[in-house]
Amino acid sequence: MRRPALILAAALILLTCLLITYRVAWLGYPLRPLAAGQTWQLFIDVYLTPKEDNPFLALALPTEHTGAMIVDEQVHSGDYAFSMMRDGPNRTGRWTGTNIAGVSELTYRATIHSRPQRDLARQSPLLSPYPAVLDPEDRRLSEETARPWISQAPATRFRAAMALLNGKTPKEMDSETARRWHAIQNRYDRTDAALVLMRASDLPARAVQGLRLAEGIQTSPTRWIEAWVGRSWQNLNPETGEVYPPSTELLPLAVAPTPAVRTSGAEVSAIRWNISRQVISQWKLLYERIVRSPHFLDRFSLLQLPPEFQGTFRILILVPIGALIISALRNVVGLPTFGIFMPLLIALAFRNTGTSYGVILFCGVLLVGYAVRSYLDRLRLLLVPRLSVILTLVIGCFTVLALVGNRLGLREFMAVGLIPFVILTMTIERFFIIIEESGTREAFVTAAGSVAVAVATYGIISWEPLQLTFFVYPELILTVAALQILLGRYTGYRLSELLRFRSLGGTP
Amino acid sequence: MILQGFRQMREAGVLGMNLRNAGYIMARNARSAFPLVDDKVQTKRLAEDFGIPSPKVFFVIENHGSIAGLPAILEHHREFVLKPARGSGGSGIILVRDRKEGGYVTQSGQVIAWEDFAYHIASILSGIFSLEGMEDRAIIESLIHPDPVFTDITYQEGVPDIRVIIYRGVPIMAMVRLPTKASDGKANLHRGAIGAGIDLAGGMTMTAVHQSRIVTRHPDTDHPVGGIPIPHWERILLMAARATEMTGLGYLGADFVLDRDIGPVLLELNARPGLAIQIANQAGLRTRLDKTDEAPADVFANAASRVTWARENLGRGRTGFPPGSNPGPERASIKTP
Repeated sequence: MRRPALILAAALILLTCLLITYRVAWLGYPLRPLAAGQTWQLFIDVYLTPKEDNPFLALALPTEHTGAMIVDEQVHSGDYAFSMMRDGPNRTGRWTGTNIAGVSELTYRATIHSRPQRDLARQSPLLSPYPAVLDPEDRRLSEETARPWISQAPATRFRAAMALLNGKTPKEMDSETARRWHAIQNRYDRTDAALVLMRASDLPARAVQGLRLAEGIQTSPTRWIEAWVGRSWQNLNPETGEVYPPSTELLPLAVAPTPAVRTSGAEVSAIRWNISRQVISQWKLLYERIVRSPHFLDRFSLLQLPPEFQGTFRILILVPIGALIISALRNVVGLPTFGIFMPLLIALAFRNTGTSYGVILFCGVLLVGYAVRSYLDRLRLLLVPRLSVILTLVIGCFTVLALVGNRLGLREFMAVGLIPFVILTMTIERFFIIIEESGTREAFVTAAGSVAVAVATYGIISWEPLQLTFFVYPELILTVAALQILLGRYTGYRLSELLRFRSLGGTP
Repeated sequence: MILQGFRQMREAGVLGMNLRNAGYIMARNARSAFPLVDDKVQTKRLAEDFGIPSPKVFFVIENHGSIAGLPAILEHHREFVLKPARGSGGSGIILVRDRKEGGYVTQSGQVIAWEDFAYHIASILSGIFSLEGMEDRAIIESLIHPDPVFTDITYQEGVPDIRVIIYRGVPIMAMVRLPTKASDGKANLHRGAIGAGIDLAGGMTMTAVHQSRIVTRHPDTDHPVGGIPIPHWERILLMAARATEMTGLGYLGADFVLDRDIGPVLLELNARPGLAIQIANQAGLRTRLDKTDEAPADVFANAASRVTWARENLGRGRTGFPPGSNPGPERASIKTP
């Protein structure tokens, strides 16, 4: 009995190892699921409130250049007309409306593949004019200031100019001239002062608004100055006088004088630039090769599925791990749960709602359901009609929550999806029966156990590196099956039995 | 600490849930035999074939249509029991001891109107009390009149029952379950009934457990629980031993009640008997299972030889108590049956 199970488990694990070895050694699959990701998802979300008859919004959009490739773009324009305009280095999305009432949500979404290692434009850009605010006398003095290094290499000029901007005296210069410049610098805002000094040093420079390529939500664009130092742009922060290290990835959106956001006849009530690292695209490089590969395993890779189904399988392929966890918690720990797979399905539902809202939603509906179920018990309904009533109640709760959520702007309340209603219905019934048969304490322990398992499972199935590893190496589920088989042959004690049989010598 | 705890449990011979399921229930109990014990109608039929007494069936209600004709049938029975055929843990059972103008009088004196009674039957049929929520049948059977031996240690009108675990035809452990106020008169340990271990050799109650605590007295009546000799002990063990031949199940539990007139009666069989009996006996099942596996082949010849072997080898004196526990039944309280 024990041996065949062990042999089967060993065979499954061996098969997994063989398949992975084959993929890595012969087909050249990457071993690490997450190489440095350079693909980003940009999501700009604007809430526009019209103030006049013709509301207008112009939004700076990322441009495709040698450092960034835009893979796909989607625009949501609601009742507005959308057009795109190129203007020098900038690209602007323009939303125009006529007689629009109420707030509209306008969105722009793009996948950007950044390639920082690539050489940028070989041709030096043109010198930009001095800022218009500059006094002619100050301009003469600025040119004089930069004279000591004007014939040096661009990188040296840049370094000297940066030192001066940061209040120091470059070695090429006497302290008197430096003091004179600092007096000028203090009369202008920092961006203008930096642009003046770069121009005086014959370095092409421009003020830019854009985003830092880091995961998160930004509510205003970052401003920096790009200065051309011969072969590439250097990015400097005019507020701190720092030069961004080359590893800092910045996504320029609007080169001055174009602003990142401009409106007329309307007001932006909220704007967000949401940037997230999109990892799956990392595998698109692998995918490119797999598509044309004659190898069997390549042709039968999940990466070959149409993209709209890939997301489902990324999750689905991790569900067996969730089942494994549940087996372990039940048979090794002895944690009670409602049903066998209910926590799994709840975990899947958490994907739409998030854990905190999910848990609140689950507990809330469970308690409401329990109250109604207790009342129904007095009505003496037969089993199937009674469950139908609870089902209707659950769906009613979801509907009310969605309507309330919509008023409060809580998307999570609306995103319950289709899976959880059956589970909640059955859970309410089980919860009631456990309270009746084994007491309230037992019922709450079971509910807590189920939620704990669901949260743990959710954590695992939403862990991206694991998702990708399983997605690229689906044979790993054979190993999961092997572990499940091994667990099925675990005949040792459960942790909970230490407590249960403590009077028999369970507790030391 | 955990491993140490596991080792101590192992040394005490405790049987855990996982080993019970994989090593005994799955290994010894054919799935096809489960319906014989899950459905009380089938169990009773089998018991009858084997000459094992069980409460007499008056009527089996198969469908909702036959509920209407019930009052006519019950005309001849003043007292009876209504129970679901596939119920578990004593739920859904109504004990009726008399009839009144308004309806039926239950054991606890409550009057149930006919409509409520019919509704309860309809609930049973729709599967509310059945093991997997499947459609069920309702049984009307004769009422047990409990033997007075446990009266002092039973809450009001509850019916204590005797659970015997049988392995390969050998009765290996037994306990008596005593209803309490907390258990609502039900003989169900989960609900708060007391479980008192029975010494297989002498058939006398020993230690008792109430809500996983060791007790010596009944919480409601305050009478000592230990040291009570079970009447007809040999007969109970013989009936239990034959349950294996009856069902073909290698590991099962048999529940008996003592009727004051007809003696031990088989109430139901269970293919997945619980493990709490170990706490009630302050002894591990595993020790006795292993001992049974090592028994000579001729022990398994017939029910009588198995019972004799069990009484000689699995009694209190032989298996012993784990160190530190208190085995003392109070001799002073022994009643003559």
